[in-house]
Amino acid sequence: MAVNFWEILGAVLLIGTSIMVVRLQNAVHAAIALIANFLVIAAVYVSLEARFVAMTQIIVYGGAIVVLFLFVIMLLSAAKASVGQDLLPGLQAPALVGALGLAAVLIYALTHFQAPANPPALNGGLAQALGPLLYSPERWLYALLVVGFLLLVATVAAVVLVEPERITRSTEHPAHPSAGAQPTPKNEKEAVRR
Amino acid sequence: MKPLCCAEGRGLKAESYSLLSRPLLFALGSLPFLGLGMAQNASAPDNTTDPLWMVGIKAFLVVFGLLTAFAYMTLIERRLLARIQIRQGPNRVGPDGLLQPVADAIKSILKEDIVPKAADKVVFWLAPMISVTFALLTFGLIPFGPKHAFFGFDPWLINLDVGILYVFAVSEIAVYGIFLAGWASNSKYSLLGSLRSSAALISYELALGMSLLAPVVLVGSLNLQAIVEWQNTNGWLILYLLPAFALFVIAGMAEAARTPFDLPEAEQELVGGYNTEYSSIKWALFQMAEYIHLITASALIPTIFLGGWRMPGFLTAIPFIGGFFALPYLWMFAKIALFLFFFIWVRGTFFRLRYDQLMRFGWGRLLPMALGWFLIVAAVVAFKMPLAVLGWLSALALIVFSVYVVMGARSSQPARRVVRPGVGD
Repeated sequence: MAVNFWEILGAVLLIGTSIMVVRLQNAVHAAIALIANFLVIAAVYVSLEARFVAMTQIIVYGGAIVVLFLFVIMLLSAAKASVGQDLLPGLQAPALVGALGLAAVLIYALTHFQAPANPPALNGGLAQALGPLLYSPERWLYALLVVGFLLLVATVAAVVLVEPERITRSTEHPAHPSAGAQPTPKNEKEAVRR
Repeated sequence: MKPLCCAEGRGLKAESYSLLSRPLLFALGSLPFLGLGMAQNASAPDNTTDPLWMVGIKAFLVVFGLLTAFAYMTLIERRLLARIQIRQGPNRVGPDGLLQPVADAIKSILKEDIVPKAADKVVFWLAPMISVTFALLTFGLIPFGPKHAFFGFDPWLINLDVGILYVFAVSEIAVYGIFLAGWASNSKYSLLGSLRSSAALISYELALGMSLLAPVVLVGSLNLQAIVEWQNTNGWLILYLLPAFALFVIAGMAEAARTPFDLPEAEQELVGGYNTEYSSIKWALFQMAEYIHLITASALIPTIFLGGWRMPGFLTAIPFIGGFFALPYLWMFAKIALFLFFFIWVRGTFFRLRYDQLMRFGWGRLLPMALGWFLIVAAVVAFKMPLAVLGWLSALALIVFSVYVVMGARSSQPARRVVRPGVGD
């Protein structure tokens, strides 16, 4: 398997930015690293002749999702995470097992994966190629509708969470004090729907 | 002053910089090459691309041209605004003030570059870079003429089959410049200004995208050159998609933060917004990014709706002198100048929207209208109706809008303000 310079560079940048997302102590710095990570992923998509997915990756994840992360970080004063504090100490051993298992699966996939001999022409993964697949009833139209309905349910739930007074007035429960400070799930779902 | 965003002061401490921050800068600094790499990977419709050195020369020309245009746009805008407001404007430096941009540039560079002590130094430096880099990345997409019109090479930098999506991707990332600038300044005014303006930009991005869906569906391609070619055979898209054109111009104005929507730098009421703490060349970089966005929008609008680099079709029908108008580049520059003038004119005419008005206009008016018009266009395309239907519908929309404006002017009443706690700035 020939690996050229650009593939190595892409892999190094991907791993480097991913480590930075986890390791950087300032949450805003980590979010910037996440943007860089998404951009490198988009570049990888471009190199795989999937330009439509690459652009969607930047627009939806690099653009909308991380902007919402940053909104939350800035509004909830979470920029300065406490340093060196292990919030979930009991999870280290299971996480290690999970990581090793993932590594085993990936190594197995790398050594046993057979690329299809004649991949169908994706035409750059353009809308003209993707649209008929996504929206034809024989293929994935119903799956798409179900996903859209799920997102709608989540949006409605978020609206209920954000405006608790109207709901609680009828059932005579006091409004949850911190419920007003959670407008973000709604925004996030809206961004996903974009 | 207690910082708004953090529990304790976020001063520059040695340990807050992990060693990994530096590679982050290099990773982000190499991003412009993403565009260059795409230029190589882009499948042009006929699979011919210019050699890499030519792409480099053209990239340099685009950047150089944009920066020069930015410098003189400031002068032209100030002179035109002065004319609208019946005063002189800058006319002292050089003949007719022509050297004013040079003086401004020297002044910006030589001024003291103040960095607040509590600022996040890396992000403070990074934010103007992101702004100006991603502002520059879009313009290379605009076709300026037919193939091989640029000394035997193509008069565009990159020819992407996902062209319009690329425009959106770049303009989404450009929001981070404003966003991070406000946070990195570690000042309440800056943070509030940046949160407010990035929220506005993201909201108008939706209307921008929705209004562009109509031409994309009608043409059936995301490629800008395919759109220009379609208009050559079928007539300019503004004839069929007048509402989409109007919505796109308005949303584009908001994206470039021009005056009816220029909350990002509302200097009178909010000490500037996100760039309050910026000075010297960093401040100039934000100005640069804003004007480059404006120039790009003025090039994008005619490319998509006004026939691109081609001249109006009826001019060729004029006997004898019809061919005279067919100069390359002339029409594209003329159309860009037209829209730049229009944007300056609007700035001299309208006043700034309040923040709640801005958001209500974006979500309550622009987005539903863009969505509705897109549904109409999609129906026309889906049922294979003739194009003339869209032309008549556009005319009808114009009439309805005119009646609405006239009736609204007759029964003008003070704007209703809905104050909701927690919403707005």
